[in-house]
Amino acid sequence: MSLMRFSNDCRAAVLLLALSSVVSAQCPPRPVSGTEVQDPYAITPQNGTLQADFSLGESVDQKGYTHYCYQYQAPSGVVEAPTLRLNRGDQLQLNLADVIQDNDASRMEMRHAAAGAVCGDGGIATVSSTNLHFHGMPIPPVCHQDDVIDTLLQPGAPAFNFNIQIPSDTPPGLYWYHPHVHGFTEFQVNGGAAGALIVNGMEKYRPEIKGLKEHVFIVRQQYLVPWIPGPYQLSLNYQVSLFPNGNSPFINMKPGERQFWRVANATIQDFLPIEIDINGKAEKLELIALDGYPLAKTREVKSITIPPAGRAEFIATGPPAGGFGEFVVGPYDTGPTGNPDLSALLAVINPVSGAENARPSQPLSSDDTSSQPAVRLKWSDLENVHVTTVRKLFFSEEFGGTNGPIQFYITVDGQQQKVFEPNEKPVIRTKVGAVEDWTIENRALETHAFHIHQIHFKLLEVDGKPAPDGDMLDTVTIPYWSGKGPYHSVKVRMDFRDPTIAGTFLFHCHILLHEDLGMMHKIEVDP
Amino acid sequence: MRIPASRFSTAAKRLPQTVPLFLGRAAVVLLVFSLGFGCSRALSQDYLLTNDDSDTNGVSFYTIGPGGALNFAMEVPGPGLGINGGLFGMSRVVAVNNGDTQCIFASEAFTNDVFWIVPGSAMAGGSAAGSQSDIGSANGVGLAANPQYVYASFSTSSTIATFQVQSGCALVFVNDVTAGGLNGGTVDGMAIHGSMLIASYADGSIESFNIASGTPMSNGDKLMSTASAAGNTYPNGIDITQDGHFAIFGDTSTSDVVEVSDISSGRLTQTVVYSTQSGISSSNVLLSPDETVLYITNTQGDVITAAFFNKDTGQITRGCTSTRIRDYVQAWSYLGGMALQQITGNGGGVYVAEFGGPSGIASLNLTVRGSTCTLREAKDSPTADDYSQGLLSIGRFPPRSF
Repeated sequence: MSLMRFSNDCRAAVLLLALSSVVSAQCPPRPVSGTEVQDPYAITPQNGTLQADFSLGESVDQKGYTHYCYQYQAPSGVVEAPTLRLNRGDQLQLNLADVIQDNDASRMEMRHAAAGAVCGDGGIATVSSTNLHFHGMPIPPVCHQDDVIDTLLQPGAPAFNFNIQIPSDTPPGLYWYHPHVHGFTEFQVNGGAAGALIVNGMEKYRPEIKGLKEHVFIVRQQYLVPWIPGPYQLSLNYQVSLFPNGNSPFINMKPGERQFWRVANATIQDFLPIEIDINGKAEKLELIALDGYPLAKTREVKSITIPPAGRAEFIATGPPAGGFGEFVVGPYDTGPTGNPDLSALLAVINPVSGAENARPSQPLSSDDTSSQPAVRLKWSDLENVHVTTVRKLFFSEEFGGTNGPIQFYITVDGQQQKVFEPNEKPVIRTKVGAVEDWTIENRALETHAFHIHQIHFKLLEVDGKPAPDGDMLDTVTIPYWSGKGPYHSVKVRMDFRDPTIAGTFLFHCHILLHEDLGMMHKIEVDP
Repeated sequence: MRIPASRFSTAAKRLPQTVPLFLGRAAVVLLVFSLGFGCSRALSQDYLLTNDDSDTNGVSFYTIGPGGALNFAMEVPGPGLGINGGLFGMSRVVAVNNGDTQCIFASEAFTNDVFWIVPGSAMAGGSAAGSQSDIGSANGVGLAANPQYVYASFSTSSTIATFQVQSGCALVFVNDVTAGGLNGGTVDGMAIHGSMLIASYADGSIESFNIASGTPMSNGDKLMSTASAAGNTYPNGIDITQDGHFAIFGDTSTSDVVEVSDISSGRLTQTVVYSTQSGISSSNVLLSPDETVLYITNTQGDVITAAFFNKDTGQITRGCTSTRIRDYVQAWSYLGGMALQQITGNGGGVYVAEFGGPSGIASLNLTVRGSTCTLREAKDSPTADDYSQGLLSIGRFPPRSF
């Protein structure tokens, strides 16, 4: 009841805001091919509060690609999917209006309403409905915060208010936001509905980034029709990589310059083995953080494979004077029944002596204006805590034919395989205070990416062997089964001690087609 | 998908890549005629048949030689178009042979028709479509035939059309019925025996029909299969024992699951579930001529299983499983339907459709010693099916007697 009352109050309060905010259904134009890659526009808090009005629009470009866009009215004009930069303890007040022209919704509707108590507009979920998930954020799974089970916004309705306080122990790093309406997430993310959320303060844990120029890069993927296998395009901050059929986006760096790059994989299904090639050879990357969580120490690598929804933050070194660099994605084998993830040139890196090296006018993530000390990182004690429960889950698939029907399952071992239904009961129930070790197998002939909302988990084992780095992640890759030998698996430690995450939330494969078709279930954490 | 140029048996004839497809086909047909193959003579040679359900469609004929060796003989173009894929459990090419009637029928999913070939004629005799509502372009058109009727299951419309067989194998559309599962599943596998037609649906339910009068009429026995009710699988391909005692279902599953229903009453009964635990999915099943062996395609995997079948009890016991079929992943992604090497005894092994672009046909040889067996891929396997970009169904002429 209290939630409903709060909901109505909020909606009334934001109505006027919505009327005065950006309400165009048409998406702004995206960068022209072959130009310099620009960082997303960033919004910062004022006096501890970041207030912003977004509207989700839709339009079709000249080549037939459907764009879904988060629009924000910046002083210079409407910008798409700005970066939300926050300090720990800040308040995020985000009003989101769905301004999609709902002219053919019945064609795509899923016959389900929101699962439980109505949050937002309720009604039937269609491709024009939306909501918002703050991927990786350790915030409550409740209405007006990070609930995607009951929250449903409909086109034309007044803006809906998300009101979130960034917990004081949130790991500093790169997170992201995207829609999460069951059955339709893939459509909207395929259309580009995704943006970065940065929690400031990384330099307090990884001081080597101090003073470095920063870039925020969001890799997106667009299909003409996302549910039909076929050619796709990758883009970097909305600039499509057309190589070899067009000019490549480019990034200018001073010769040999070290920069802090924050890369989010916002593709709908692509596993991204990224690297920077200097004069045709993979250059060293200094890995700083994964999934928004600072590593205990910098790790030198030459390639980082980012699963769908994953993030990597690293120090990149530019090519020397006279050399050339390339920001590339390598090919990735997703298995016999998986889609081919092809190599791509995301951007050319030009060594330019006169490249602008001044800090941009907007604050950087390293500007933690809260002056908070470097508190102990959330979950940093997970290695040695008492484990209360052990579980086993597995991914599996059934193909009735080459064109389907296909069933995608994630199953708690011992339970019946079934696809997700919005009104289902949670398949896992636990309590605040629990610490659980989950072994997750992949019994399918296709690689999957496991993700759980609200928390990060600690990677303990890969294929039964200790994971030496014990990374904290919110999304992890589990390779396909070849048909012989043991299944590939990971063992992860789940921490449900935080009482603020009590409630019901989701775990699923972050290949969005799989998620939309039911490779997902609920977990309930009781107070 | 890449296919190494050298992967196919040299016994298979390949058309020069520079020859346009149409000219290539014409040349092959003329060559076959010049060898005395044509002129509508009954076939004395055993043939493997493939349904080349590609953008262009047709049936390729391969002679079955000593030891099961395949040699490409000809491709008979169909008048319509195919779709390069679809459901695993559908038979898209079937043959009948009762002495007086020798016919080969193949479906064309894009143009929603069935065409016929008089064995020995080396050409399509014609084609017939169902009603305008019979559509199979999403996942294919399945076939089952006896000397009097051909039944065609249309995957998109979930209808079963009945065609009457005329002289010269010509088909005349009779009518169609809508068939659907308990939870709205569309028609998937189909098989006939005597006056019974059995269908599986993509929601896990199964149903039988009485076809004594030609047109299917439901027996009112639609039910969820036992494994489907458990939520982890659903019946797809179907075979029926010679005496009509048991119907066997190959299941689409995350493991290898086969179900058996006692149909001796003329109605389906609750299925008994068997799992060979040898692979992934099992959408196609095929009984040996003597009904001692059940061949199972691990559709999503890379192996074939030969399980032992007791035709008196319907029980299935573990037999043997092949090693990985050659060129999995590199050349093909799914295994499709099967055809017997021989139409006597335990069949001697099977041919298996490899879904690739172009596709191939794997040959597996069975050896049984008492209660054990071995199933090995032949040295000259696979054989190229140059005309198919998505082979899922194969058959043989003459067919098994039941």
